[in-house]
Amino acid sequence: MTSATLGVRRGRAKGSPLARRRRRVFGPFLAPALILYTIMFMVPTAYSFYASFTSWDGFSNPRWKGTLNYDHLRHDPAFKDAFFNTLKLLFGCGIFLFILSFAFMLMLREMKGRRFIQGFIFLPHIVSGVALAAFWDFLLNHDGMLNKGLHSFGLGPVDWLKPQWQFNAILIAIVWINTGYYVTILMAGVDRIPPYYYEEAKLAGTNSWQRFRHITLPMSWDVIGTAAVLWTIGTVKIFEFILAFSGSQGNLPTTNQWTSAMYVYGETIGGTSPIYDFGRACAGAVVTLVAVVLVVVVLRRVTSRDRLEL
Amino acid sequence: MSTATTGSRAESAAQDPDTPAAAPAGRRRVPWARLPGAALIWLFVAFCAFTFLFILLSSLKSSYNVLNHPFRLPTELKFSNWSKAWHDGGFGPAFVNSVLVVVFAAAGTVLLASPAAYVLGRNQNRLSGGVSMYFVLGLGIPMQIIVLPLYSIMAKMHLIDNLAGLIVLYIVVNLPFTVYLLMSFFASLPGELEEAAALDGVGPGMTFWRIMLPLAKGGLMTALTLVAIACWNETFLALMFLQTNDNFTLPLALVNFLTQQQFTGEDFGVMFAGVSIAVLPMLALYAWLGRRITEGLTLGAGK
Repeated sequence: MTSATLGVRRGRAKGSPLARRRRRVFGPFLAPALILYTIMFMVPTAYSFYASFTSWDGFSNPRWKGTLNYDHLRHDPAFKDAFFNTLKLLFGCGIFLFILSFAFMLMLREMKGRRFIQGFIFLPHIVSGVALAAFWDFLLNHDGMLNKGLHSFGLGPVDWLKPQWQFNAILIAIVWINTGYYVTILMAGVDRIPPYYYEEAKLAGTNSWQRFRHITLPMSWDVIGTAAVLWTIGTVKIFEFILAFSGSQGNLPTTNQWTSAMYVYGETIGGTSPIYDFGRACAGAVVTLVAVVLVVVVLRRVTSRDRLEL
Repeated sequence: MSTATTGSRAESAAQDPDTPAAAPAGRRRVPWARLPGAALIWLFVAFCAFTFLFILLSSLKSSYNVLNHPFRLPTELKFSNWSKAWHDGGFGPAFVNSVLVVVFAAAGTVLLASPAAYVLGRNQNRLSGGVSMYFVLGLGIPMQIIVLPLYSIMAKMHLIDNLAGLIVLYIVVNLPFTVYLLMSFFASLPGELEEAAALDGVGPGMTFWRIMLPLAKGGLMTALTLVAIACWNETFLALMFLQTNDNFTLPLALVNFLTQQQFTGEDFGVMFAGVSIAVLPMLALYAWLGRRITEGLTLGAGK
């Protein structure tokens, strides 16, 4: 660099000593994280897309087989179960969870001790899903607590965990685990609505329903949208609760309890007799990722359009 | 709406639940109209409290009493459940493994993420914007998409069933969130001190180390805590990458214990002692740093 260009650069605001110093460390400060993240996160992501078109056991070199894995997925009952259970969690559980969280949030805002309650219902979110599953199983078991409680009222034991019901028990548990988290997120969003909106609406003689309908609801679309995106990303991670709750004697849960993450584990190294079908598991993971991306894009569009209508 | 001017007002309203902002509706309405809702919330709170009390109390009861008198308080305190869980149930070694993994993974993640977050948060240009987006992208990619190629890489490096290998994986998967969290933290710090340091001729590395890091202490603590919680409870990767009991972390020890119980007959007292060993450290951490944890975990949701 010649001294002439140096002079020109120094003359600009960007060439302040501080900015130049920052530029000098930009590379070295960023490099370790960026390199590790690229090699062990983004490259594996890309590789999964490639591997989904191959036959691969994870050890030897993958062999190209076109779209066969995807063709197979369409007829694989285990994958169908896993995929539809994930959708069930995403939408069925999600709608219930959001209505409950939003209602709790609104009520909590008017209750005494709301900080305390909010802190308390957050608890299940920060402990191990396996631990909660152990408790949940003890609660609903045939000899479990709920039936013991019913028995003392003279009511017969109910088979809470019969196959048709078991996944519903999981759905309820997942709602329970996540409610506190989403109440807190929604609360933070609604707290940001400027108070004078309400003050002026009150002066205009509105009732509380009108204030809710025309201030709280439209102004929380933003945070509801973000929370929905978080939930979408979160549902595909649900794994250990189901494994610990429904798995038995070292076997994986039956496939009608599977989710997307369970499929990847079950098709590769999981269970008492592993299958090692890495290629097909990658295809399953890719389908899940694509579904997540689609849902996120739709959610973003819906929530941003509704905000514009304001 | 200009958030800059109203932000502080909204925030101060948020601190105090009795301001008009926090109670916009229905203050003067008949209180019993809200009763069903309040009852439902208290029921929910009671269930959460019951869950954790039940786990802790049952860990001190005999298996017979846990099963047959679940709602009764323990008559005698059976601490032997805890020593059985610790020594025979595999929870002792698993606890040590979990602590090791959590300490190294949390420290490693923050060590790598904070310089990156510093330069990304304080440089506002196209390049840093693009790199930030690149990190944020990782927040949306589920674990199952990266885990199989990683398995292959780790197998080639003989890092399967190896705690050091698991620590590296935990650092990697926690990087996107930690960079994102710390980035907004560094961006919010005042620039004057940094400028003064530059004018005084303090080198950029020193400026970061001696001036910016201490200023960001709160954010670093939050990041450490959140990564620690995530790693303490993490099960999917641990299950994929650990194989022998000696290397198991607590969630795996618990899964393993639950499985073995189904073969050898069940001791619920010991089981809940094991559950307590996995849960109590998190409860303690939450009691200590509660606000920091909830705020960190929900950060960015409103943006």
